[in-house]
Amino acid sequence: MVRKHMRRAAKAAFAVSFGVALLIGITACGSAKKSGVAGEQKTISSKPAIILGTKNFGEEYILGQLYGQALQAKGFKVSFKGSFGSSELADVAIRHGKMNFYPEYTGVIALDLAKAKTPPKSADQTYSIAKTYEASHGLTLLNPTPFYDSDTFTMLTKTAHKLGVKTIADMKGKPFSYAALPECDKRITCILGFKTIYHLTHIKFVPIGTISVYTLLDQKKATSGDGFSTDPQQLQHSKYTALTDTKHIFGFQNVAPVLSKKLLKGAAGKLLVKTCNAVSSKLTLAAMQAMNKAYVVDKATPKQIADGFLKANGLK
Amino acid sequence: MTGPRLAAGGPVIPNFGHGTACLRHNHWFCPSWVREHWGDILQPALLQHLELTAIAVGIGFGIAFLLALVGFRWRFADPPLGAVTDLLYTIPSLALFQLLVPVTGLTVTTIEVALVSYTLFVLYRNIVAGLRAVPAEVLEAARGMGLTRAQTFLRVELPLAAPAILAGVRVATVSTISIATVAALVISYGLGAPIFEALQQPDIFRTELLSAGALAILLALAADTVLALLQRTLTPWSRL
Amino acid sequence: MLLASLFVDAFRFIPHHAGLLLNKTGELAELAFAALGIALLIALPLGLWLGHRHRGLFLALGVSSLGRALPSIAVIGLGIAVLGVGFWNNTVALVVLAIPPILTNAYFAVEGADRDAVEAARGMGLTEAQILVRVELPLGLPLVLAGLRIATVFVIATATIAGIAGGGGLGEVMTNQPTYGLPGVLAAALCVSALALVTAGVLALGQRAAFRRMAPSA
Repeated sequence: MVRKHMRRAAKAAFAVSFGVALLIGITACGSAKKSGVAGEQKTISSKPAIILGTKNFGEEYILGQLYGQALQAKGFKVSFKGSFGSSELADVAIRHGKMNFYPEYTGVIALDLAKAKTPPKSADQTYSIAKTYEASHGLTLLNPTPFYDSDTFTMLTKTAHKLGVKTIADMKGKPFSYAALPECDKRITCILGFKTIYHLTHIKFVPIGTISVYTLLDQKKATSGDGFSTDPQQLQHSKYTALTDTKHIFGFQNVAPVLSKKLLKGAAGKLLVKTCNAVSSKLTLAAMQAMNKAYVVDKATPKQIADGFLKANGLK
Repeated sequence: MTGPRLAAGGPVIPNFGHGTACLRHNHWFCPSWVREHWGDILQPALLQHLELTAIAVGIGFGIAFLLALVGFRWRFADPPLGAVTDLLYTIPSLALFQLLVPVTGLTVTTIEVALVSYTLFVLYRNIVAGLRAVPAEVLEAARGMGLTRAQTFLRVELPLAAPAILAGVRVATVSTISIATVAALVISYGLGAPIFEALQQPDIFRTELLSAGALAILLALAADTVLALLQRTLTPWSRL
Repeated sequence: MLLASLFVDAFRFIPHHAGLLLNKTGELAELAFAALGIALLIALPLGLWLGHRHRGLFLALGVSSLGRALPSIAVIGLGIAVLGVGFWNNTVALVVLAIPPILTNAYFAVEGADRDAVEAARGMGLTEAQILVRVELPLGLPLVLAGLRIATVFVIATATIAGIAGGGGLGEVMTNQPTYGLPGVLAAALCVSALALVTAGVLALGQRAAFRRMAPSA
């Protein structure tokens, strides 16, 4: 009886290990196939490996694919690391070498990371503060994009009419709720700025995790919220209204790739800079809005969108 | 802006193509999207998920087995070990994945460490309980046959505890598949990644949410069935 | 080393943000207990009745494995897509997740009750409902409570995920690392663990009491 069990146990052990081996085999095949696709791009060993991360929303995914695919087309080895969460997390990640390339908004660097005391007066000033900040951490900033994507104080157009407001300053004395990503609470470009610069007092902050601001506005879960100027919804003026930011707390938010200075060495570094700047120069507001719309409305993937845009502009 | 910007002609904005009416209206389920993105989104995510689970349960089993040997051999060690695995299980996955990031970085290791620590709860309990449930008479008989302690363990206790142990592996596997979807909040890997991406879209991209969610459920049920069949083949004497 | 200093910071965070943490723990408890209550009302009678009739073994087993297989994130996401953002999408999702362990354990608690005892009660002329309440339930109570305990720990831990779906609670602190930092995330996690352990502890005491009560008859 015991013997028989023993033999069965041995068989069992074999079957289990066989099953596990099979599982690992299948998985390995799966990943091998995947790396095979990346391997098709010709890789030159002297070129530095790029570990590309993004923040966690649609526009960043698209930007990541745009820079990443353009670099791959020039023979760089790019590993897409997925999203790194908020700017603060991305900043920590790149300073600790967990990635060496990510697209960031200049105003976010200047105001939220560098914590500039007074909001910069122009896009240029914003860029130079941002560049100084990154340089102090062994990083650098390539050229900014022509488009800028700033936060916008967005509400349903119906609500704006009802309250009779056109600018953020008009909200003074009115109680309202404001939906935004959690980090908004402590940011000068967000709730903190409304309080200290616009002196709005009756704000109820509604932190959102992964849910879109527009969903919350549509469902009347918030009076207003933090939209982005490149969101396709911002084009639907009959439905959504962005209040004018008369005191410029939202700042100047052009995008520029943040990268490790180590990537700039030699001829490969020059090629990298040239490639990224060529991509950035094509990213106008109209281009970015079209790409965001393709993502949000037509459900194209960031990868497809970037591929289409780069090919159309001879960058791939 | 007069800054360091390249002078450039305007960009060519290509036609990105229209999504189907089903997609534009965000219907509950658009089969065409699933067909189109099986290869680039769903299948890779499914394989990643399978990999995450297989590694987590494998390593978790190894650790739980060693711990269970300790808890089984020295009874006084059982309550504290049990309590530790209990405690690990109560840490919300949402927090654990984040807390591990400074230690293990934004890598698959982070996900695995968290997943492994969750498997210990079920596996440890089941292995110890299975070993303890071996009737005293059987052990007595084994001793009577002149088997050593090690022989008794390998030839008697372990085979008799196998059904309970495998039941634990089933539960651990199925729950790991479920918990692993949360990892995508921190690191986009596995089936959680398309789920989170779908949740972020305005009005929630339903087709992506449902197809990735359904794949997670199907994967769990398939794994459960495979393990149940395995359990039957391995321990036919305990057929339920 | 890093973890040690993180724990020190988390323990400093707790007194400094005691109000916030208490408030968010309250929100979490409200959500979790509401869901558990509803799940109990649905699953307990159903499980007991099916177990009493010795029917629906397949359902009980199926529900239990399906329940474990449901990815909580997707269930909560589906809740938002159907019900919109708010208290109910999270509550309904948690109810769905809490039903399986309660239902399955209730089923097996009653189903496995000593058949001789049941037959004896039937012989004494007790009605089916009386048999269920006076004989089968007391015998199976430890198992029923074990199911409730599993569901409780699971629901409390999962209710944090509601934080990503505008559900408030400690999950909101956990998903707001930029504001509260990792110590805040850890402090919130500790509060969740504490809530889960305390609740499970209370239920374990109940389970032990139930065990003792049934011990003489068993």
